[in-house]
Amino acid sequence: MKYKAKPLPPVDLPELRTVGKPLRRVDALGKTTGTTLYAGDFTMPNVLHAKVFRSTEPSARIKRLDVSKARALDGVACVLTAENLPDAKLVTDMPGQTGQKRRKGSDAPVLAADRVRFAGEPIALVAAETLDIAQRALELIEIEYELLPGVFDPLEAKKAGAPVVYEPDNVVSYWKIRKGDIEAGFAVADLILENTFRVPFIDHAYIEPETGVAWVDERDVINIRVCTQVVEHFRSIARAVDVPHNKIHIQGTMLGGGFGGKEDITVEIFLALLAKHTRRPVRLEYTREESILAHSKRHPFVITHRTGVKKNGRITAAQINMVSDAGAYPYLSPYVLLYATIASCGPYRVDNLHVDSVSVATNNPFTSAFRGFGIPQACVAHEQQMDEIAKALRLDPLEVRRVNYLRTGDRNSTGQEIKSAVWLEETATRALEALGEKTPPSALPFGSAQDRLKAGDHGPIKVGQGFASYMQSYGRITWFHDTSRAWVGVELDGSVVIRCGVPDLGAGQVSSLCQIAAEVLGVPLEDVTIYSTDSALTPLAGTTTATRQLYMSGNASFQAASAVREVLLGRASKHFEEKPDNLDIANGVVFVKGDPDNVLSLAELAAMCAAEGLPLSNLALFRAPFSTTLNPENLQGDVFPDFTFGAHAVEVAVDTETGEITLLKSVACHDVGRAINPTAVEGQIQGGSAQGLGYALMEEVQVKGGIIQTPSLSEYLIPTSRDIPTTRALILESGTGVGPFGAKGIGEPSLTPAAAAVANAVSDAIGVRIRTLPLTPERVLAALDRAEADKGRSV
Amino acid sequence: MLPKFDLLIPQTLPEALKLLAEGAPDILPLAGGTNLIVDMRGGHRRPRALIDLARLEELRGIRIDDGHVVVGGGTTIAELMTDPLIADHGRPLREAAARLGNPLIRNRATVAGNLVDASPAADTAPPLLVLNAELELASQAGTRRLPLEGFIVGPNVTLLRPDELLVTVRWPIPPPRSAATFYKIGLRKAGACSVVTTAVLVARDESGSCQEVRIALGAIAPQPIRPRAAEDVLSSQSLTDTAISEAARLSAQATNPIDDVRASAAYRRRATEVLVRRLLTEMAIT
Amino acid sequence: MKPKAVTLNINGRTHHVALAPNVTLLHALRDLGYTDVKSGCEKGDCGACAVLMNDNAVNSCLVLAWQAEGVEILTNSGLGTMENPHPLQEAFADAGAAQCGYCTPGMIISAKALLDRNPHPTEAEIREAISGNLCRCTGYGQIIEAIQMAAQRMEEV
Repeated sequence: MKYKAKPLPPVDLPELRTVGKPLRRVDALGKTTGTTLYAGDFTMPNVLHAKVFRSTEPSARIKRLDVSKARALDGVACVLTAENLPDAKLVTDMPGQTGQKRRKGSDAPVLAADRVRFAGEPIALVAAETLDIAQRALELIEIEYELLPGVFDPLEAKKAGAPVVYEPDNVVSYWKIRKGDIEAGFAVADLILENTFRVPFIDHAYIEPETGVAWVDERDVINIRVCTQVVEHFRSIARAVDVPHNKIHIQGTMLGGGFGGKEDITVEIFLALLAKHTRRPVRLEYTREESILAHSKRHPFVITHRTGVKKNGRITAAQINMVSDAGAYPYLSPYVLLYATIASCGPYRVDNLHVDSVSVATNNPFTSAFRGFGIPQACVAHEQQMDEIAKALRLDPLEVRRVNYLRTGDRNSTGQEIKSAVWLEETATRALEALGEKTPPSALPFGSAQDRLKAGDHGPIKVGQGFASYMQSYGRITWFHDTSRAWVGVELDGSVVIRCGVPDLGAGQVSSLCQIAAEVLGVPLEDVTIYSTDSALTPLAGTTTATRQLYMSGNASFQAASAVREVLLGRASKHFEEKPDNLDIANGVVFVKGDPDNVLSLAELAAMCAAEGLPLSNLALFRAPFSTTLNPENLQGDVFPDFTFGAHAVEVAVDTETGEITLLKSVACHDVGRAINPTAVEGQIQGGSAQGLGYALMEEVQVKGGIIQTPSLSEYLIPTSRDIPTTRALILESGTGVGPFGAKGIGEPSLTPAAAAVANAVSDAIGVRIRTLPLTPERVLAALDRAEADKGRSV
Repeated sequence: MLPKFDLLIPQTLPEALKLLAEGAPDILPLAGGTNLIVDMRGGHRRPRALIDLARLEELRGIRIDDGHVVVGGGTTIAELMTDPLIADHGRPLREAAARLGNPLIRNRATVAGNLVDASPAADTAPPLLVLNAELELASQAGTRRLPLEGFIVGPNVTLLRPDELLVTVRWPIPPPRSAATFYKIGLRKAGACSVVTTAVLVARDESGSCQEVRIALGAIAPQPIRPRAAEDVLSSQSLTDTAISEAARLSAQATNPIDDVRASAAYRRRATEVLVRRLLTEMAIT
Repeated sequence: MKPKAVTLNINGRTHHVALAPNVTLLHALRDLGYTDVKSGCEKGDCGACAVLMNDNAVNSCLVLAWQAEGVEILTNSGLGTMENPHPLQEAFADAGAAQCGYCTPGMIISAKALLDRNPHPTEAEIREAISGNLCRCTGYGQIIEAIQMAAQRMEEV
């Protein structure tokens, strides 16, 4: 099928000096020369080394815990158990909340007191002179478990009589959408299709394990240097450690990856407790195995779609059921479920929609935020369902989407009007066009004679293409009343300073703010320095999550820089005797438009302002739109500031005898609104795609009876450079985003459609669908066997 | 974190053997460390001492001797990939080397280490089996030679005595009209523990008909195996599709795989049959 | 298990340090201040700890520090500095190849080992050379571009 994209509607995006340019990021050279320090690169004099004693059982009562031998070991400074803690809870259910009512009963204990609910649950903390002594102390801790029946399947955990992990009935959260008239919708359908899809536990697998160092200073402030996506956790940490909020100081470092896994509190409370008790600096670094054991996972989901469609593919009714595994403690499960519920029907006009979703506790590893936050899971289901509809109706998969795609001005599943550009057809067509004609097996780039043998056109290698469309919110739920602050100032030598609490998890969060300030103030990017990620010393900018930082902190930085620019040009207008509108700033020099030799350096201008007491800095507060919570009976109302739309298309080769899948081509097309830095946007698209491709092909935290069977990166596989082609990134800019310069968000959207695209391509290749991820060679062969058996039966 | 141990660094092979004799069985030789260091960190091995072999020149080198390719046990997997003698006379080993681990691992891992560690999935074993490799084991008491076939008796268990080192691996230069190859199925294309590995060697006589076929299977039993029944079906036979299919079927039958996190036994059996069939077919038309 | 005085030659500097036998080269390097060598897994799965030992790229987590005596060790920070970066470090910065940057030092080491032997690698050869360095952020695309860019720039010099 040849796809030809229609021309885009005209967009007026003026060319800018700094924004929109593929400049080298401000943090790039520090990282490439190995100069940048990460959390594990810091230490303090007289530091103690910490270790965490964890449960080996997924469901048990602690009958006896004896740490006396560990405490007595020479070189051990401190051993803490639940007995030694204030009523300490580890988790916030909403990172960075500013006084919102917290969900009842959602907390996990810092250290288990009498009961453990997952294998890996922390029970005791040790701080010792050396890591070796700390490890030996762990081995001296004596524990007796009384095993309790556990439950390891959310569908089982929902049943009456199941072991209770979360009072009273393991239901952590549920949502429902009721829109239109579902019975009427099914009544007029020409065809009704039902399918169930399953996705597994996934690990963030950031290359930097969780690490930090904490120390108490002369003000009794507990300083914590740590890799975190949320510096605002200082409040929860303070409560858990029983100190006032103003006595916890988070110095966030450049993260070696986050992806949502460092969004909840990880090592911070352990460090603070040990530092407080010993009055010495304490360092804690998770091993990889401990990281996999200790931090959250992406939610497994079982999603059932029942869809009624007309012969032309138009959806008349959609009934969707979703069950997610919340694991042992709720963490962010309710919100992941909410996002998945809202995204469940896909980026389509569905007038008659019933969605029932539930998140159920089990004794499995706990689940929480992971890039996409429930929407990738929803996408794996809705995009495969769309392809199944296309197959049943013998329609082109893109055509089935076309008759259903949302458009600007339409309302989504919660009835929220989408105001920005909805370039679904535009992105899908371009991705498919770029994917090109299907590669014939005989042309496959396989090397050996044996490979050439199998690559003949009638041989066992089948080539398939598939794509997926999606919509992903950016910015947080609007009833959270999200805000961000940034401070921008011009120094007396014309250099620019930004102060902003934003954590940078590697996607260029801080560099974007510098690029924006550089644009507004007319200075080269190198003249901007940002001080960031400090809960006490930089204005709080909220969490680096939910694809919100460019939108929130970008807007705050833009506002602050604009306020400073106004003061500067106001003073300059007196100097030049020109209206401020006739002035501009470029390369650190103020000039009269049309008279570029008539100049004043920014340094001179700053000095003039300072001498007259004019403010050379501004602290801006940006507020996302505020809304009220939705009616829980039907989930109708506004939820998000805006959405990103796009598509991913993939070509695969499947060996139908061994089941091996090779990715041949990968193309992604997203409307990012405005690319602040095109190189960075391309990098996000390629990187997010890679995680999605891994999700489809090889990633799974296998859990049996609550015990992780994939404890290290030898068993939990993420793609290497030999496993995935580079995703060709087609960046579209509609300019209609609510971020600075019309930007939307790309951090999570880049991941969301990729796995679904692979699943559709594999189904296209082998003619039968695999409804469970990952698409292992075994699952491929099992699907082919089923298809053979079905063929035999129908003859 | 590694447990405590002493590290002895001999300068010569005789010195190493002496240390080994004195310290056995609580003392282990350390070559590339890509398995041993990991095992020690995981608490699976706690030797009192290690003997560092990395500097022993006597364990290095690849040469021809009396019609045999002789490879020092300390030869790294990376060296196997680039050495011209391996390219000419050990093609399946070269192909296996290219799929073992990843470039960083290959610069340290050694062929002796791979064999002595004796993982059921050891990638150098199937190619060396079809090359009819023989091992030279040295101790202070002298040296002995053992065929590779039968040396690995179970997962991580070999006939190596605690006071011995695997000093060379040798095989007869394959006959002129022979071809051999190797294939690995893993769950990703680098850094993947093998799910199934297969090596075959086909030797022809002057008239071109098949004289001898050797098949070796890895990751499908407690130790790598030569499925003799499958080989017998093909000896002095033309490599017809029917014969190849039968050999493939018998190969799969000879496996004794397990279910684990990477694959099921059923998959391993099935994939073995596919790989044997394909590799023999490829060799038949080479 | 007594510590012994070991001489390590790192980035052209000589260090004399007392180390126990069970200390890996990774930890010896980091304790000596070479924090550009990163710890990601300590079992050879991720490549973040990669250094050059006598021009071979290896996982320093699998080398004992005592084994590194008499060997020339090169870490990423020995290739260049912010004032005077190595072409690979520049190219990685220009191409956007460092997002979180945690895999970057090890990645550049593998790239250097490649370009030292093969100044004009194909894309397939590049992918092969870095296949022991896991990256979770970039999808490897801009890393490959950076290595190609560096190869070209190094040729032009």
